[in-house]
Amino acid sequence: MNKIINLTKVFLKTSFSNMNTQMGMPSKSNKIVSKILYVVLFLYLAAIVALFSGGMVESLKIINQQEIFIGLILLVVTAFCVIQTIFSSINVFYFTKDNEYILPLPLKPYEIILARTNVLIITEYIVTVLIGFIPLLVYGVLTSVSMSYYLLMFVALVLVPILPILLVSIIVMIIMSFAKITKNKNKFQLIATILVLSIVIALSLSTTKLQDDITNEQLAHMLVEANGMVDLLKGYFPTLDYAISSLTSDSIVVALIELLKVLVFTISGVIVYVFIAQKIYFKGLVGNLFSSSSKKKNIKINTNKYNNSKLYKSYIYKEFKCLIRNPVFFMQCLLPAILIPLLMIVMVILQMKNSITPQMSEQLNSFNGNTFIVACVILGVIQFFSMFIYIAITAISRDGKNAIFMKYIPVSLYKQYIYKCIPNIVMGSITSIISIVVANIILKLDMLMIVLVFIAAIIMNVAESIILIIIDLKRPKLEWDSEYAVVKQNFNLIFPMIISMIAIFIIILAGVFLTNINVYIGIIILSLIFAIILYFANMYLYKNQNRLASRIM
Amino acid sequence: MIEIKNVSKSYVKGKKSVDSLNLDIKDGEIFGFLGPNGAGKTTTIRMITGILDIDEGDILIDGESIKTNSLQAKKNFGFVPDSPDMFLKLKGIEYLNFMADIYEVPKEKRVEKIEELTKKFEIYDELNSQIQSYSHGMRQKIVICAALLSEPKNWILDEPMTGLDPKSSFDLKEMMREHAKSGKTVFFSTHVLEVAEKLCDRVGIINKGKLVFVGTFDEMKEKFKEEGTLEELFLEITEK
Repeated sequence: MNKIINLTKVFLKTSFSNMNTQMGMPSKSNKIVSKILYVVLFLYLAAIVALFSGGMVESLKIINQQEIFIGLILLVVTAFCVIQTIFSSINVFYFTKDNEYILPLPLKPYEIILARTNVLIITEYIVTVLIGFIPLLVYGVLTSVSMSYYLLMFVALVLVPILPILLVSIIVMIIMSFAKITKNKNKFQLIATILVLSIVIALSLSTTKLQDDITNEQLAHMLVEANGMVDLLKGYFPTLDYAISSLTSDSIVVALIELLKVLVFTISGVIVYVFIAQKIYFKGLVGNLFSSSSKKKNIKINTNKYNNSKLYKSYIYKEFKCLIRNPVFFMQCLLPAILIPLLMIVMVILQMKNSITPQMSEQLNSFNGNTFIVACVILGVIQFFSMFIYIAITAISRDGKNAIFMKYIPVSLYKQYIYKCIPNIVMGSITSIISIVVANIILKLDMLMIVLVFIAAIIMNVAESIILIIIDLKRPKLEWDSEYAVVKQNFNLIFPMIISMIAIFIIILAGVFLTNINVYIGIIILSLIFAIILYFANMYLYKNQNRLASRIM
Repeated sequence: MIEIKNVSKSYVKGKKSVDSLNLDIKDGEIFGFLGPNGAGKTTTIRMITGILDIDEGDILIDGESIKTNSLQAKKNFGFVPDSPDMFLKLKGIEYLNFMADIYEVPKEKRVEKIEELTKKFEIYDELNSQIQSYSHGMRQKIVICAALLSEPKNWILDEPMTGLDPKSSFDLKEMMREHAKSGKTVFFSTHVLEVAEKLCDRVGIINKGKLVFVGTFDEMKEKFKEEGTLEELFLEITEK
């Protein structure tokens, strides 16, 4: 048991400790600042979740169906664990570099398996606090339940995530040990993640109705409908059913018995899991370790492979290749730029088909979209989408220890920073184009406005990219053992959101203070504001190019 | 030619990792840089190549200061870092082309050099594969090929023999000798004392950040008045 705990600690430390050391050798004040940032962020998210939960519980109380809320929250926790585990289990079990060091150690197979599984479970608990604990706490307060509810809720939230994590891990292990495709880590990850994303998109499309401006009664009705999904999942995760019964029961004895059932099922699940995992995990793991050194004999090199290009072209191509060929970076950095706006288009089209009445259509046709407020809304939407593009904020960290390369080649650091920003700018431009096209379909904008909005979006995008690369340079995460750590266990990822929020705030301020201004002048003023920010960010990057690279060593 | 002038570096205040280092590596010379783990070898190499800032002193590469004229100085050397795990998602040929673009190697020259170097190191047939599929030794070879592609006058190699098979190791040593014979400079760090003894014109031994010996092996034996093996001499110097 001690070995499992120690091994879990080591695995956890290697994946999370880097988050604290991102500031190099942090001073006391830096540590305090980052702790305050964590707390503020957590409180901010917790407040949003609490408010949302409160609204839902109040809606359900109207039709006296508030208990459905418990089922829905446990469903969300379960669904989140399933999706998250598909992404993380492949990395935690198979693609961490420490596998080579762990395998030769005198550890029993189940010790390694349980320690790795603990990492998955503990990681999920962090999110469970936000999406499970807080909503159920709000529920408890609003429905004035007894004190025993809180204790039962705590135990239920500790137990419920375990079974889904075990199930997904076993499926991943089975695929890894049998599928030939897993010899290619990249393709496997790509296919697995695309599959998960497709499911998520399908689910979000099927619930587009939620986007409407709805009354409390309608919301409650929809929540009852969604409860059908809980019934569907109960078959797969029996603990879900017992946990719901336990938390909704009026009798403490019944509640305890139901919770005991959850415990028994979970323990049985762990035993079966360890038994199966011992049989299949190491087959897949060893296969994977060996496959990485498999050789692919060649094919004569074509002379046109010896292209010589301009340095900027060569460098930017290199950046794109490294982004596209790495499935984790591709999924987390590149894809959201296209996927999220595209999803928006599909949703808008479906929405228009479903809900626009002839009168609304007439109103929309006669609506003059060429106003400054509309321009602000479009720019705000573009900003919102750009917070999901993680290219510039990970531009240095993605190189890992290899980032020292930047410092010994005869190319100025400033130029290299700009080349590294280009993919972010390109993807941001694609997001802008998609958003503007959709806006044009709905609001029929005039050409000059489209051009001006696009220019403003580009200026914002370039400024943001430069600010984000400065942040990554100041707090690079260069010590990582799997690419996943760069795009998930990286505190810097909060900054695209913060920067976008600030940009949206500036846009809102402009919208409020310049409401009646001529649309073109308004956009030009907004562009100028962002151009000034861009100028200062760029000057800072240029003047401090060497100092900013001091953490790369 | 590499001139290291009174160079110091501290990571922690009050503790110098490299302390007042003075060293001249002349043209036509193979210079071996030796020292126990944590002695300051990699720190020194990282300062020479511009990866680390220099706290005190200066380093000149063919007369160009890495501190004040770093771009020009960087054009004057080819560098092989201690870890060859770079650009794993690029194919071998893409990586070499990228490096050739950085060092502005003309097309005809790069075709000739890539073929010559990769055939010599027996990785030509693997150039269309991604570097991540290469073994450690093959990665080391492609990094060496990339560093030598632009025919730099000064070679700076951090543990270049690590992971190389005997033939490649032999070839690299031959190449180092030819390079030095043509009047150019090779500066490399190593832990393998026998390699240093057979290959180097001079060696420098660094210990706890200070240069404790610089000269030929004969001078080393002379200075320490010992007739022991190279290993014994090294231990004698570094444990003093």
